[in-house]
Amino acid sequence: MAENGAVKVSIKDLCFYYGGTKALKSITLPLYKNKVTAFIGPSGCGKSTLLRVLNRIYELYPNQRAEGEVILDGENILSPKLDVNWLRAKVGMVFQKPTPFPMTIFDNIAFGLQLYSDLSRSELQDRVETALRRAALWEEVKEKLHASGTSLSGGQQQRLCIARSVAISPDLILLDEPCSALDPISTAKIEELINELSEDYTIVIVTHNMQQASRVSDYTAFMFLGELVEFGETEKVFTTPTNSRTEDYITGRFG
Amino acid sequence: MTTARYRRRQMRNGIFLGLSVAATAFGLGWLALILGALMYQGFSGIDFAIFTESTPPPGSMGGLLNAIFGSIVMSIFAVAIGTPVGILAGTYLAEYGRNTRFATIIRFVNDILLSAPSIVLGLFIYDAMVLTMGHFSAWAGGVALATIVVPVVVRTTENMLLLIPNTLREAAAALGAPRSHIVRQVTWRAARAGIITGALLAVARISGETAPLLFTALNNQFWSTNPNAPMASLPVAIFQMAMSPYADWHRLAWSGALLITMTVLILSIVARVLEAQTDRR
Amino acid sequence: MVDLALSQDISIASSSTRLRRFHATDRTFRRVTLACALLVLAMFAGIFGALISGAWPALKAFGISFLWTETWNPVTEKFGALAPVYGTLVTSFIAMLIAVPVGIGIAIFLTELCPRSLRRPIGIAIELLAGIPSIIYGIWGLFVLAPVLQQDVMPGLIATFANVPVLSTLFAGPPFGIGILTAGLILGIMTLPFITAISRDVFETVPPVLKEAAYGLGATTWEVLWNVVLPFARAGVVGGIMLALGRALGETMAVTFVIGNAHRISASLLAPGTTISAAIANEFTEAIGALYAPALIELGLILFLVTAAVLAAAQYMLYQLERRAGGRS
Repeated sequence: MAENGAVKVSIKDLCFYYGGTKALKSITLPLYKNKVTAFIGPSGCGKSTLLRVLNRIYELYPNQRAEGEVILDGENILSPKLDVNWLRAKVGMVFQKPTPFPMTIFDNIAFGLQLYSDLSRSELQDRVETALRRAALWEEVKEKLHASGTSLSGGQQQRLCIARSVAISPDLILLDEPCSALDPISTAKIEELINELSEDYTIVIVTHNMQQASRVSDYTAFMFLGELVEFGETEKVFTTPTNSRTEDYITGRFG
Repeated sequence: MTTARYRRRQMRNGIFLGLSVAATAFGLGWLALILGALMYQGFSGIDFAIFTESTPPPGSMGGLLNAIFGSIVMSIFAVAIGTPVGILAGTYLAEYGRNTRFATIIRFVNDILLSAPSIVLGLFIYDAMVLTMGHFSAWAGGVALATIVVPVVVRTTENMLLLIPNTLREAAAALGAPRSHIVRQVTWRAARAGIITGALLAVARISGETAPLLFTALNNQFWSTNPNAPMASLPVAIFQMAMSPYADWHRLAWSGALLITMTVLILSIVARVLEAQTDRR
Repeated sequence: MVDLALSQDISIASSSTRLRRFHATDRTFRRVTLACALLVLAMFAGIFGALISGAWPALKAFGISFLWTETWNPVTEKFGALAPVYGTLVTSFIAMLIAVPVGIGIAIFLTELCPRSLRRPIGIAIELLAGIPSIIYGIWGLFVLAPVLQQDVMPGLIATFANVPVLSTLFAGPPFGIGILTAGLILGIMTLPFITAISRDVFETVPPVLKEAAYGLGATTWEVLWNVVLPFARAGVVGGIMLALGRALGETMAVTFVIGNAHRISASLLAPGTTISAAIANEFTEAIGALYAPALIELGLILFLVTAAVLAAAQYMLYQLERRAGGRS
């Protein structure tokens, strides 16, 4: 049973707009340190939108804006005074489709490391190895670090992306449906990885697979049409949900 | 449905489809005639002197060395200045200006320049460089060719960059990489083969361009390496020699034409091979 | 501040200078790319400006009547654009007469009839036709096609239509071998691969379900093409044709060798004439006198404006097709 520990991220009254359309309506919820929080809900409910606020990746596109507060370790990350590049170096993200860079496996990991630190060659090699070990990929690629990142299988590529995020020691890791493009065996490996990583990192995972959410997460947030309907410990949300809409979604009456 | 009507429909089908076969045969036939004549006339005139001697005065023997040199030099110059400008402009359109009205205008103008009469480009550079400098030069010729390279490279670069999925850019941004870093280290690298193909196509295009050189680099009967003076080029040399009444010059013109066509062919094949390789990946 | 303990791998100490450097690089890079994009506009404006300033003396001297004056006399310095404009329009028209049906026909063959294995080689062969530089077409036309036309084809045409009312003037002798018809023919062969390429691309944007629905009703291949594919692709094909026309109007080298360089209009297609680009190519370097070069540049200005208009219209049509295809998929 998970206990309420320290709060890593506190989301307060968050609203999000695509142009004139309000996609997130006053979301308030905590993300607990070193725990896995899952965002679930039917398509279009806003779970990915909410995730993408946490590293302000939406700012790459015009006409998208967020209002409200998101406090990460005492600082509001939505503040315009905060350097967004720096924020993104502190928050890692893994996407639905594996996105290896068109470089060698080594360079893929080194990319993030070389942005913000001046490491010597040997330090770089150590960091790359550590990251690949943490992502449970080292044994499989240690002989071919100079092969192209795209030469790996889908599951391996996704683990490469996880290694890439982990290499720069983020405070928070965001996973946007990381297994939906993978086969069941790779999915199982990655779920195991998430369990291990949660000992050191705070993790948020968006998933449309409810069974995955119940396997992997400590806390679950159920969203519907841009609103946060229910939030609580995963076991409680799935066995005794307080909101009828939550119950309907979980029992498969819609979605 | 009567069988007579059906037969009429079938006949109409056969006639029009037959016409399309005829059209293809027509097109392929001309290709065979042109390439055939080119090979025959060109090869029969090729000898070692083509590559060792400069263009001769009428009535004597010679080669095309100065013209070949001039074409290579001016093409390299054109690509050296045209490709970076084209890549950077294409990058702006794809990375910074996407879906803006400004970018639409630029793309529109670029596409007009892409198919604009190359003789007009020659007149432009004549006015801008030859008159200002007071004389014809290889510099002017190179710049005139660059005005053809730029629109081609802008178009292919933009198209290639638009093909790169946004999630790749997001993945780099999510690591804290600033925009310019993402474009240079990730997006350009991902589109590298396509961009190179675009440059190759641009080179193939300028290899045969004559009109822009007519009043910029002019022509030079003698061997010259001076970029500040008129310089010979294969297309202009061919023009001059073919329009003349001298049989020797005609022979050289055919050989020059063969050289140009071979160059264009090889560049196109290389570009195609590169394209196929990226598709496979 | 963010918990430093977890961030010890990354040196935060220098990060503020680093972050500022990042933003500076971003700003510079964006400005450089913008400058290059603006350069494209500058080129266009530059061409226009250079043509107007170069043609100015002629624009002032001849005014609008330049467009319909046939005289072209360097000695008396009286120039008129009628012959080159006429030649440009007629050769391009002849070229389109050949290139459009043949080009679309080949596109139909390649997309509907051609056996899969032959599709690539034939497609490549047609693209080769497009890749051959125009000067090659020019000398081939002069040395190979013109003699054949002069000795066999043109006398034949003259004889056949000698007694037919309109056609006898169109095909009146003497058979020079070079002239408007020859130039139009070469231009047509040069242009047809463009039309094929664009038509092919356009045909391939037709959603297969539309064609399958028609076939499912028992339509013949031709009926599907005529009633489903061509209407759907109409804007694109027309756009492609206009693009090809724009190129044909401005083509220089293929035409210069075989047009005959005569500044006059004749009723006969077998007579020599001139086009705007051929006139400039042939005469510019020897144009002395206050009005000769400006007159030639004014011809260039007319050509630029006309081709820009045609190409702009072509763009618009192709853009319509893109939007339509995007909307339907």
